[in-house]
Amino acid sequence: MALRWILKLENIEKDFLFHLQQGTRIVVFERFSHRFFPGRTTILTGPSGTGKSTLLRMIYGTYTTGGGHIWVRHRNRTVDISAAEPAMIYALRRDTIGYVSQFLRVIPRVSALDTVIEPLLARNMDLEKARKKGRALLERLNIPSTMWHLSATTFSGGEQQRINLARGFIAPFPVLLLDEPTASLDLKNRQIVIDLIKEALADNTCVIGVFHDPADHKDFADHTIDLSLMLNQEVMQPCTKKN
Amino acid sequence: MTGVQQEHTSLPLLQVRHLCKFFGRQLGCHDINFAVSPGEVIGVVGESGSGKSTLLNCIAGRIKPSNGSVLFSSSKGIIDLCRCEEALMRKIIRTQTGYVTQNPARSLKMHISAGGNIGEKLMAAGMRHYGEIRKTALMWLEKVEIDPCRIDDLPATFSGGMQQRLQIAANLVNAPRIMLMDEPTSGLDVSVQARLIDVLRKLVSGLHLSMILVTHDLAVARLLCHRLYVMKQGEIVESGLSDQILDDPRQPYTQLLVSSVLKP
Repeated sequence: MALRWILKLENIEKDFLFHLQQGTRIVVFERFSHRFFPGRTTILTGPSGTGKSTLLRMIYGTYTTGGGHIWVRHRNRTVDISAAEPAMIYALRRDTIGYVSQFLRVIPRVSALDTVIEPLLARNMDLEKARKKGRALLERLNIPSTMWHLSATTFSGGEQQRINLARGFIAPFPVLLLDEPTASLDLKNRQIVIDLIKEALADNTCVIGVFHDPADHKDFADHTIDLSLMLNQEVMQPCTKKN
Repeated sequence: MTGVQQEHTSLPLLQVRHLCKFFGRQLGCHDINFAVSPGEVIGVVGESGSGKSTLLNCIAGRIKPSNGSVLFSSSKGIIDLCRCEEALMRKIIRTQTGYVTQNPARSLKMHISAGGNIGEKLMAAGMRHYGEIRKTALMWLEKVEIDPCRIDDLPATFSGGMQQRLQIAANLVNAPRIMLMDEPTSGLDVSVQARLIDVLRKLVSGLHLSMILVTHDLAVARLLCHRLYVMKQGEIVESGLSDQILDDPRQPYTQLLVSSVLKP
């Protein structure tokens, strides 16, 4: 029996219209379709500017979709992310779609530990239980315990990225979006992150990631989508069309 | 952002419909429509003079709108604050909403103690036992990170950040369901701002409070708000999830607003 998809892009379209820059319009996706499956990794490749991060952000709901549908299975229902109400997006982000961005958005005065466990608290997990889980994950990611109660504002780039990763892996998500998760990590920590991803896959998570290191591709790519081949990217300028 | 638990569009706590306000021939705000769910934090952003504060004042019953309605889901059903009896409107505003201004001196009574400012609100809501009032006031001072030993001091002796936090405490003691905030962090030193924002984040998620936050600080808006409304010349030009508005602005004015911010 064919595996059932968890996320389906159907003829999606996306453009950016920069009103302040002579109305430059950049088309990123034109009727792009693809399916993603649980327990599988998909690696998005292609040079900078081909829309790898854009695609992740569209799936997460941060970028609006110009046309088409982004279907996701959410608690035994199928939801179109591109047309979902805000309340649905909050629910999707709490329970179904996890996202590890390239850079941690640090909140001043909130400890590294509390930053990490936020997704658990959003699911109403008891504070002590969540902190215990958080400590274990921070330890695994080699963040010294002396730093757990500090705000991540002063952390190094690699440390901030590990806090960001811990936030993404602390709670299981059926769909996990990773934007260059290993970019600023040393070899030892890179291996730990790869192990975490493999565990998530074993847990039936659908992982969609942007990885620049070719070594990562070998580690776990069931699928590789080369966006530079798939998309016809064109810049038209100036554009008088109103959106 | 966390805190909003509903998945389906549940009954909104507050709905603004076709709200207009003219000051003579001068436009305040025009055809404003939006809804706030329980536990949701809404940000209203835009340049000075775009009608943000006018809108907030209309919702808070401080200005009578020229047209439109403000529907509030109360225990007695949905009530239009613009059309119901004045006394009922006042009661709902007093018991269900809080209003925090940019300048705490306008809302606090500077000649009575910090504890008195909080106690006054409790007494207005019917609390009479002195010991209870003092105990509650102490608890709230602690929640907004003011040293409880300052309870008998006059707010005039407080710093700007402390006055602002005291104003927030005085507004929250009677457990309102929605807080209306007009530039609460403006005019504060950045380190003091961070503390205020942190206090607000904790209070909002802990109390399952709704909030409408008027601000021109986009970083504050991103940190605190689930959704944003962008206003220009009295009208809403764009709305959406906070990260959508700030990371993928579609309208020329929103693009200008977002691209004008210096990133430290």
